[in-house]
Amino acid sequence: MKPKPHPLLRVARLLTVLALLASPIAAMPSEGDATGLKTVDQDVQTLKKQLIDLNRDLFKLEEELLYPASTQVAVFLSMNVGTFFALDSVTLKVDDKEVANYLYTEREVQALHRGGVQKLYLGNLKAGSHEIVAFFTGKGPHDRDYRRGTTLKVDKTVGAKYVELRITDREASLQPEFVVRQWE
Amino acid sequence: MAAAIAVAAGAPAFAAPPALDSVAPDFALKAVDGRNVRLSEYRGEPVVLHFWASWCGPCRESVAALDALGLSSGTAVLGVSLDGADRSAAIADSMHLRTPTLVDAQQSVARAYDVAKLPLTLLLDAEGHVRASWSGAPADLSALTPQLERLRQD
Repeated sequence: MKPKPHPLLRVARLLTVLALLASPIAAMPSEGDATGLKTVDQDVQTLKKQLIDLNRDLFKLEEELLYPASTQVAVFLSMNVGTFFALDSVTLKVDDKEVANYLYTEREVQALHRGGVQKLYLGNLKAGSHEIVAFFTGKGPHDRDYRRGTTLKVDKTVGAKYVELRITDREASLQPEFVVRQWE
Repeated sequence: MAAAIAVAAGAPAFAAPPALDSVAPDFALKAVDGRNVRLSEYRGEPVVLHFWASWCGPCRESVAALDALGLSSGTAVLGVSLDGADRSAAIADSMHLRTPTLVDAQQSVARAYDVAKLPLTLLLDAEGHVRASWSGAPADLSALTPQLERLRQD
């Protein structure tokens, strides 16, 4: 398999192609030259696809540089049903330091209800023991103000650590439940 | 905070709201009616963003005029009050404001926008770029309205 060129090299190539396309010669084929127009259109479509790919690669590269696997910790939030809890906000603390405070709009809550998973926090932690605390606020059963905290002790090892905060319904007690799961 | 955000001439010279054509910083705030509002959810339509506080004299006139503009034109007008939640709600109620009044009691959004003079009004296009701004005085509606109309037609 052909090795993928470095993202920065691809940026340079794309900029060259963009400059050529922006020039009047490349952008304006001779009159009645439908084939030329078609080619330009194809080039633009190819370029768009390359830009999307490049953007994805750059994003991945940035994440790898800023958050190497050896120190990376990511916290995700998801919701299963959630009929007993209307989410308003989540505050996240790592080792007693607030790292995220997110206010949810109605649209965002709906997205979570539909199965969306939100990356709430991405950061770096040294190997060792750490404490992650999440505070959920919203409306609980009977439309009462509801605030609940959940704590998780994590043992950060050399690999990336993924933590999932999941809001579920506990049918037996008709109460929301806040579950924390770890993924290696 | 009243010292940090001054009305008109008393403002520090180094602070400035987002420059024209720059993308307005995204934020989420609670409105006085309890809803959470995120600016980026208004992408796709022009937005008038308006920072005000109860202690700022010219703000009241501006708030009332922009609220009326929002109602008559169907434009998204977001008022960001730098007062506490109760005071913001009381003022919104007494002025019968119909457009969202968002509460920035911690002034975190005001800091992100470098609000140095009140009122501050920003006209944002459908992509969230700042197209016009009025700082330290009520927005000039005779200039804002045609610009808004152009943005709505784009």
